[in-house]
Amino acid sequence: MTLLEVQALDAFYGDFQALFGISLEVADGETVAVIGANGAGKTTFLNCLVGLIDRRRGQIRFAGEPIVGEPAERISRLGLSLVPEGRLLFPSLNVEENLMMGALNRRPGAWTLARVYELFPVLGERRRQRPDQLSGGQQHMVAIGRALMSNPKLLLCDEISLGLAPLVVDQIYESLGSIRAEGASIVLVEQDVKRAAGAADRVYCLLKGRVTLHGQARGMGLDQLSRAYFGT
Amino acid sequence: MIWVETIINGVLYGGLYGLLGVGLALIVGVMRVVNLSHGEFIVLSAFLGVSLVGVVPWLHPLALLLPVALIAFVLGFVLQAVLINRVVTRPDPFAGILLTFGVAVVMRNLMVEVYGADPRHLQAGRLAQASAGIGDLHVGVLPLLILALSVALFTGLQLILTRTRFGRIVRATADHRDVVRLMGVNPGRVYNLVMGLSLALASVAGMLLAIRASFTPYSGVERLLVAFEVVVLGGLGTFWGAMLGGIALGVAELVGLRLDPNAGPLYAHLLFLVGVLLRPNGLFRGRS
Repeated sequence: MTLLEVQALDAFYGDFQALFGISLEVADGETVAVIGANGAGKTTFLNCLVGLIDRRRGQIRFAGEPIVGEPAERISRLGLSLVPEGRLLFPSLNVEENLMMGALNRRPGAWTLARVYELFPVLGERRRQRPDQLSGGQQHMVAIGRALMSNPKLLLCDEISLGLAPLVVDQIYESLGSIRAEGASIVLVEQDVKRAAGAADRVYCLLKGRVTLHGQARGMGLDQLSRAYFGT
Repeated sequence: MIWVETIINGVLYGGLYGLLGVGLALIVGVMRVVNLSHGEFIVLSAFLGVSLVGVVPWLHPLALLLPVALIAFVLGFVLQAVLINRVVTRPDPFAGILLTFGVAVVMRNLMVEVYGADPRHLQAGRLAQASAGIGDLHVGVLPLLILALSVALFTGLQLILTRTRFGRIVRATADHRDVVRLMGVNPGRVYNLVMGLSLALASVAGMLLAIRASFTPYSGVERLLVAFEVVVLGGLGTFWGAMLGGIALGVAELVGLRLDPNAGPLYAHLLFLVGVLLRPNGLFRGRS
C-alpha cells in the first residue's frame, strides 16, 4: 500500500524555484533514501511534505489524503514526523521537555518516554540537561526521539548523520532498525550516499531540484549514483 | 533610621517597578516585539479602575485588581490576534515598533476623549497611610502589600513557565516558532495568550501605581520608560533580574528624593545609565 505519493511537486522561495516536478513514492513499511549534494533540494523537499514551505504546487497524498495545501499544524496530526536538519532542539527546554513537546500530537502507539529512553539510554541519564550540555550525537538522539513521540506512520530524517563521528552514526543507524520494527516507514535524506543506500530499500537522487535517478538500492552501482549525484 | 526606612520603602516600591517591567520582558522574550503601547495599557487599567470605583464605590480598589486584570487579558488577546500577529513573523523589528507606537498614540487620545486630561488618583483610603512599626522602624502597610503581591505574581509567572504544559509550549514557541508547528502548535494562538498575560500583569502594576501617584492619559510614556529600564537593567529574558532591576530603581528613586527633594525620578534614571554602562547585558545574564 502506498503511504506517501508525491507527483510533479514544484516549490518556490519567493521567485526562486527550488524543486522541479519531483515525483516520489513510499510504500508502507519501506525505507526510502533521498540523496544529493548540498543545495540539491533535499531539505526543501522534506519541508514541503510537512507543510513548512509556503509556495508549493503539485500533488502530495499521505495515507490517501491530499496534503499539498494544508498548514504544518494540521499535517502533523496525520502521522508525518520530521527530524529537522540541524536538529533544532528547543534550547530553553531540557531533554525530557523536548521529548514531551513531540508528544503533543500523540497518536496511539509504542513510542512513549520510557520506550525512547530504552532506545537511547544515555538520554534517560541526561533527562534534565539542556541541549547545549549534550554532545552532537546525543542531540541527534533527542531530535529523533522527539519525532518518534508522536508515533508517526512516516518518519522523515534530514541528515541525521551530519557532523557525527562514524561510530556515533553507526549507533544512530542501528536505532532505525527498532524504529522500523515498530512499524514506521522512513525517508532518509542524506549526503552520505553509502550509508543511506545501505539502509534503504529504494533510493532517489536529487540534483538541482530534480530527480536524476531512482530505483532499488541493491541494484545501484556507485558509478551510476555518482553520475546522478554530481550530474556528470 | 530614616535612611533605613527609605531604603526599605524603596525596595517595596521597587517590586512594583519590577511588575511594570515583567509584562514587557515576557513579550520581548517570547515574540521579540517591543510593545510601545505597554505604558498606555498600564495607564488604561488605572482609568478602568477609576471607572469601576465609580460603579461599585463600596469596594476597595484593591478588590478591583482581578476584574481589571481580566479585562486587560482580553484586550491583550484581541490586540495580538487582530494586529500584532500580522507583524510578528516579519524579520524587520520596526514593523512591531511602529504598529505599537501607533496603538499607543490612538489609546492616549482616546483616553483624553473619554476621561479628560485632569490628573486622577485611586484612593486607597486609610490603607495608604497605615504603617507597621517594628521597634523604631516604620514601614508602610500598603508598600508591604504591594511587594508581597509582586513577589507572588513573579513566582506565579515563573511556575507557569517552568512547571506547566502551557509554559513548556510558550518557551518552545519562543525558541523555534516554526518547529513547534510541526508538533501541532499554532504560534499565533500562543502569542495571543502571552500578550493577554503580559497586559494582565501590566494592569495590576498600573492599578497599584495609581494608588501611589496620580496619573493622566499622558503618563504612559513615563511608565513605559520605567518598564524599559527594568527590563534592560535586569537582563533581557530573566524575570527575577527584572524584579531586582526594579528594586534597584525603586531604592535609587527614594534615596535620591531624600537627598534632593526636587529631583523626581532623576536618580533612578541615573542609576539606569550607570548600570547599562557598567553591565550592558544587564545585571543577570538572560536568554537574549
